Amino acid sequence: MILSSKQPVLHVYYNARCIFFIFLALTFRPCINAQTDTGTSRDSLGLILPPETVTDGYVSGDKTDIKGSVSSVLPSMLKAYPSGNLSNLLQGRASGVTVTGSGQPGEIQKVRIRGYSSFLYNDPLYIVDGIPSRDISFLNPADVESLSVLKDAGTSTVYGSRASNGVIIITTNRGEKGFSVNYDMTLGVQSPGKGTRDDVLTAKEYADLQWLVYKNDGTVETHPIYGDSWNPAPSMPFWAANTDWYDEITDPAVIMNHNLVISGGTENARFYAGFGVINQNGIVIHTHNTKYNARINSDFTFLHGRIKAGESFSFSNRNALNVPNLSEESPVHIGPYRSQAIIPVIMTRAVNGINNHDFVPGEWGGTGIAFRLGGTPNPVADLTRNKDSYFIDNRLTGNLYFDINIIDGLDLRSIFGGTVDAVQENIITNPTYERDYDNIAERRVTEINSHNDSWVWTNTLTFEKKFGGHKILALAGYEALKYDIGNAVVNTDTSYYTETRMLSSFLKADYSFMDRYLLGVTLRRDGCSRFSESQRFAYFPSFSAGWHLSNEPFMERLSRISDLKIRGSWGKTGNQFAISSRYSSYIFGADIGGSYYDLYGTFNSSALGYYPMQTGNPNIKWEESFITDVGLDAGLFSNRIRIIFDWYSKKSADLLYNPPVAGTAGQASPPFVNIGSMKNTGIDIEMSYQDKWGDLGFSGTLIFTKFKNEITGISESVKYFESGSFEIGSIVRNQKGEPLSSFFGFEVAGIFKNISDVENSADQDDAQPGLLKFENQDTLTSVYWLWVQERYKRKNFIDYRDKTFIGNPTPDFTYGLDLMLSWKSFDVACFFYGSQGNEIFNYNKWYTDFWPSYQGQKSKSLLYDSWTASKTDATVPRATNHSGLSSNGVVCSYYIEDGSYLRLKSLQLGYSLRADLLNRIRIKSLRVYLQAVNLFTLTKYSGLDPEIGGSDLASGIDYGNYPNVKQFLFGINLSL
Amino acid sequence: MKIKLCSVIVALVLPVLLASCGKEWLEVRPVDSVDQYSLANAEGINALLIGAYSMLDGVTSVSFIDWGGASSNWLYGDIRGLIANKGTDAGDSWEGQAILYYAENALNSMLNTKWKSEYEAISRCNSAIMVTNQALEDGTVTNEQADLFLKQARALRGWYHFEAWRMWAMIPYIDENTDQNLISNAEDIREKIIADLQEGTDLPDNMDAIGRFNGTVSKVLLAKAMMQMKSDYTGALPLLADVKASGTKPDGSPIGLAPTYGEIFDIVNRNGIETVYTVQYSVNDGSAGWNGGYGEVLNFPYKSGASPAGCCGFFQPTQEYVNSFRTSGGLPLPDNSYNLDPVESDQGLRPSDPFTEDTGPLDPRLDWSVGRRGIPYWDWGLHTGSDWVRDQTYAGPYSPKKQVYKKSQEGIFTEVSSWSSGFTANGYRMIRYADVLLLLAECQIETGDLAGALENINAVRARAANPDGFVMEADGITPAANYIISQYPSFPDAGYARNALRMERKLELGMEGHRWFDLNRWGNTIEELNRILDYEKTTPWGTSMYYWAAVGPEDVTYPIPQQQIDLSGGRLKQNR
Repeated sequence: MILSSKQPVLHVYYNARCIFFIFLALTFRPCINAQTDTGTSRDSLGLILPPETVTDGYVSGDKTDIKGSVSSVLPSMLKAYPSGNLSNLLQGRASGVTVTGSGQPGEIQKVRIRGYSSFLYNDPLYIVDGIPSRDISFLNPADVESLSVLKDAGTSTVYGSRASNGVIIITTNRGEKGFSVNYDMTLGVQSPGKGTRDDVLTAKEYADLQWLVYKNDGTVETHPIYGDSWNPAPSMPFWAANTDWYDEITDPAVIMNHNLVISGGTENARFYAGFGVINQNGIVIHTHNTKYNARINSDFTFLHGRIKAGESFSFSNRNALNVPNLSEESPVHIGPYRSQAIIPVIMTRAVNGINNHDFVPGEWGGTGIAFRLGGTPNPVADLTRNKDSYFIDNRLTGNLYFDINIIDGLDLRSIFGGTVDAVQENIITNPTYERDYDNIAERRVTEINSHNDSWVWTNTLTFEKKFGGHKILALAGYEALKYDIGNAVVNTDTSYYTETRMLSSFLKADYSFMDRYLLGVTLRRDGCSRFSESQRFAYFPSFSAGWHLSNEPFMERLSRISDLKIRGSWGKTGNQFAISSRYSSYIFGADIGGSYYDLYGTFNSSALGYYPMQTGNPNIKWEESFITDVGLDAGLFSNRIRIIFDWYSKKSADLLYNPPVAGTAGQASPPFVNIGSMKNTGIDIEMSYQDKWGDLGFSGTLIFTKFKNEITGISESVKYFESGSFEIGSIVRNQKGEPLSSFFGFEVAGIFKNISDVENSADQDDAQPGLLKFENQDTLTSVYWLWVQERYKRKNFIDYRDKTFIGNPTPDFTYGLDLMLSWKSFDVACFFYGSQGNEIFNYNKWYTDFWPSYQGQKSKSLLYDSWTASKTDATVPRATNHSGLSSNGVVCSYYIEDGSYLRLKSLQLGYSLRADLLNRIRIKSLRVYLQAVNLFTLTKYSGLDPEIGGSDLASGIDYGNYPNVKQFLFGINLSL
Repeated sequence: MKIKLCSVIVALVLPVLLASCGKEWLEVRPVDSVDQYSLANAEGINALLIGAYSMLDGVTSVSFIDWGGASSNWLYGDIRGLIANKGTDAGDSWEGQAILYYAENALNSMLNTKWKSEYEAISRCNSAIMVTNQALEDGTVTNEQADLFLKQARALRGWYHFEAWRMWAMIPYIDENTDQNLISNAEDIREKIIADLQEGTDLPDNMDAIGRFNGTVSKVLLAKAMMQMKSDYTGALPLLADVKASGTKPDGSPIGLAPTYGEIFDIVNRNGIETVYTVQYSVNDGSAGWNGGYGEVLNFPYKSGASPAGCCGFFQPTQEYVNSFRTSGGLPLPDNSYNLDPVESDQGLRPSDPFTEDTGPLDPRLDWSVGRRGIPYWDWGLHTGSDWVRDQTYAGPYSPKKQVYKKSQEGIFTEVSSWSSGFTANGYRMIRYADVLLLLAECQIETGDLAGALENINAVRARAANPDGFVMEADGITPAANYIISQYPSFPDAGYARNALRMERKLELGMEGHRWFDLNRWGNTIEELNRILDYEKTTPWGTSMYYWAAVGPEDVTYPIPQQQIDLSGGRLKQNR
């Protein structure tokens, strides 16, 4: 509902007694509008009043009757800054929702609701205008009318076996009577920042570091670039450059967003048409994301509103070029952390390279110029050459519905909808000549065409009745759906997906008495083709209750408390996406690299062979979560202060896990069994305050999310499993009693100061002065150990038993703070987001802080702050050409950093032009604004960006993360 | 009212319509997969058997078992046996380094990979056996067909178990009836391995495919297993004698000594007369290198300058191994005194610095086994020294050679689609005829037939002495070094013969993955390797490379991977 100038805003505001506080942050502004009575200007901000009803996607109800936990996000917040993806905008906007992602344009952020409830699949379910989806990258945020997050069982159980990870309900704008045109535009630039310039070595410094290594190690040799090691100082070759590789792979990038909305209609026929384009170039050269959206929604009523019918259609075309993120192959890893500064990006001098390639000026520089330049490709050359690769996603989503009001209070609704999604991808790799090895000889093109379609047909009967003080809302529904219909063609090889079918029925009933006592019950029965016959159907019940205290007569005396409700819910939800329909069968596979053999000695062909691929488990069933939620909604001082508080406990059981079996069983995937369990407990808090003093208006909203995740069981035989495998071993151990994705390794006690320190410490492989000293985790105080030491004169020693949990990437809490100030025609809004207590495993340091970890770029601290005989209190290990347990050989706490941060995600200053002047030129409203996104980030983290995603089983490991960077924007909101 | 009625009807009928098709509608079979029933026929079993053969290289893409599993045993046989060091630079594969300096522990992931490789192979053999039994029951194969399938599968299963046995000794034996919950490595399984290999000896010699096991191959493997596991020279001798007398390759073609030494390692001769069994690698077959010697892909000179393409600079021969090619009067020096006159190397020199090559007498096999400065390296031109080596200060001046392809073979016998051209068709020569002769000679020495042993050892030396097989300078007629080699005039006693045999295996079969296993068979692993270490530590690169290394009594096996012990729920016991 777009606020029109004639609407009695104050009235609406004061009557919105029972709405969730989060909405109030913005309702305050209409309030000011009413006060100052300039009327139109701020209306054009696209302010949208919070709906007085909430929907779970099947049925809408009065918000006062909510007994479960729902976070609603104001649409205006979802337009706070231009982004190719809605998920990005959710960060810090709803309590209980954690969003992480990189700054890559169009990247699909990781959205987690109330922690983790599966080892395999933790994405929420999205319902867009009744159509389920697991990815909302196709949506244009400008088209969104409401977004609600169903967090507890009371509200989400109606989605049964897909609801364990939470459900996000999105409805798009519908047409209104009349006619309106709105146009919004944003234009801006993103700045790459200084990158790692101050952290890594210049060409000359790198040579100095080599000399330091020679000195530390007593090595004598002739360096192919810097000359004889017995020279007092290294000499530099004539072709030496001093490249700032981060600077070279990045550029300031433009971002542009246009949205045009035309809507209108008569009493009985209304339409909404939205068109949008966002074009965001990434700061990494040639990366970009361009998305075109078109949406038509229409609604018709017949027979005096007895019958309603309509449709929604949306088409999106997304065209992107991305680079790998969190990958050792990524230019954002190779550029800032691994390319030596001495290498020219483009040759300015002729050099005879080491691979029979003679470089001439103008050609790409690279590691092939001379020996010992490290094994990295030239990231600028690769990005430039391969810029014609593309990814195109065309998606059509839509639905048709009709709604028949059979008798008063009884409605039949039928909705059929679906998605047709086609992706075309071309990955082009071009020949190279500049590398020292692994040069690519031929141009290669991989073409991928895939489509993945789905449809759903839902039929519901809704009954709503009020009599006396009683209110009843009941729903019965039946639903059939299919998803994963499609195939993927890679070059000429086609593989088909195994489609999934579901058949479900559900019942829901809500009852309230005198608007004080609320009760609700939901039951869903899901049948799903992913399970074998014995496990195919399952029931998901939930119960909820609420007590609206503020409607009790005895509360009337407490006038400061304007609203108070206590509520609670319990129920069961499921997760079917964690499993594949294959898991129940015993399957053999044929893989040319895995099971074919050149039986006839042909040298260049191999004969078909099979291997055991998957051990099946026909008894596999749904993952389940049991969610208990207790909450409180309160409004104080005429609802100027609103508080929503929730405590929850989510126990997930029967989690699918394939406990590794002993190698003696072969390498066939071990059977998945429903064996794991996990627990999340947490609190969600949303608080808002708003007030006005004359022309001055203020509102503030705080969103607070805190949860504790614990793996409560994996399997009888397995206490832990590892993930996040790197050259130094697995970084993560997922273990019973610990949170998911915990870092596991040696705790660094310090650096061996000298020989006597080595001798007086526990025995440790390859211990040397200047190398890392690990903490001994064995119980030294035990009587037994003391006896062993006494008896055998045996010192304690460091081995794998001394590994311990050294950090966790999950924050203690995250928060969003939204502050708005308005004065006459000006408005200022800022939005902070913070994450506290998350740790980062900075794997980049493996490359930069240890000399033998490839001859790539190194850190300044290795040169200036590392241990030497005269600097024994150093915090960085000695620069030495030595690898091993005490050096760069193992996972240890040397790499762990505090990843807490506070970021000013958005700062916006707006000015609305005077309405009376605008009206003369037939403009309803016009607002202009300046905005800075990610203006500053307060953090101790030394890497490019503390916001690091990654898979759930190994998150928070930084090895090349596309950073979130500053944006400076100018925007216009225009209403005709 | 009409509308109301219609609506009610629709509302009632719709769910019924949907429900009626429920059960069948929810029955969706996975597409693109094959179960055991569809494989229970001759074609399917053969494909399962091929899957089992395909593990002979020790690697597979499907569970990413890479070089840690390589059956060429460059790591476990030669690096462990100090024929070569890990090579490359200090930071590259620290775990491989641990194996070199005898500091590997049960957490070493290389060992876990090797373990997984052997038992994946065994599980494929067992799948083939189970499905054959199923097919026999169904009557979809004849008894004769089944017999051939089962014998191959059992011989393969025996071989894979033997490989695991000589790594860890205490290993569980897994057959098609094993309950994985009851595995144990406490019992002595040597007889079971022998019984499996014995099955293969009944196979015909002509199996119509070079890549299958035949009677001859099975006999050699059985003999090896008997010698290694039980010192049963009496039992092994007739098997090897039989192979020498009438053995053939799996396709029925004859076996014998190749006329010259170097040609054995040329890719075109991988199925030449010398090889009794070669693991059949294939390239450009669509496997992106996985069938092209993935296990050895790291073991090429570090690509730079004119050096062979490929990658990574691993597997650099040791100075001690190079020295042992020193001859005196055409024979190897006794008492390891060759280390007193080490072979000259270009350690510490730039390619542009002048270098004087070693002029002392050398066994010509050196320059087919080791790449060193100034010596022609296949058709790649002269080895130019430090620019072929990743980090000379770390791992010395030498390069591997036997598995390296010729320049003229690039793109033909090497993979073109992957990150390295070090994926080659140069199949691992798992059993060479010279190996058979030397194993036979070993049996003869241990059973008192010194004359027979002398004949067999001299046959191997006579071939090495064929001047047509010397590495020649670019002119094609000048030997690249001072090659002097001759045959033993006689074996005065068994001790002398034993010494000669052991040296001969080092010279003939070095860099082919046998050394550490040989030493274990002879029981002199600890003293021999400590002796070599003492010498190797005196090289300019040896101090840092072998700083901590010392061979102890536990180093005659590898530790059983801790992960496997954990996964077995403690049923598997550590072997030390």
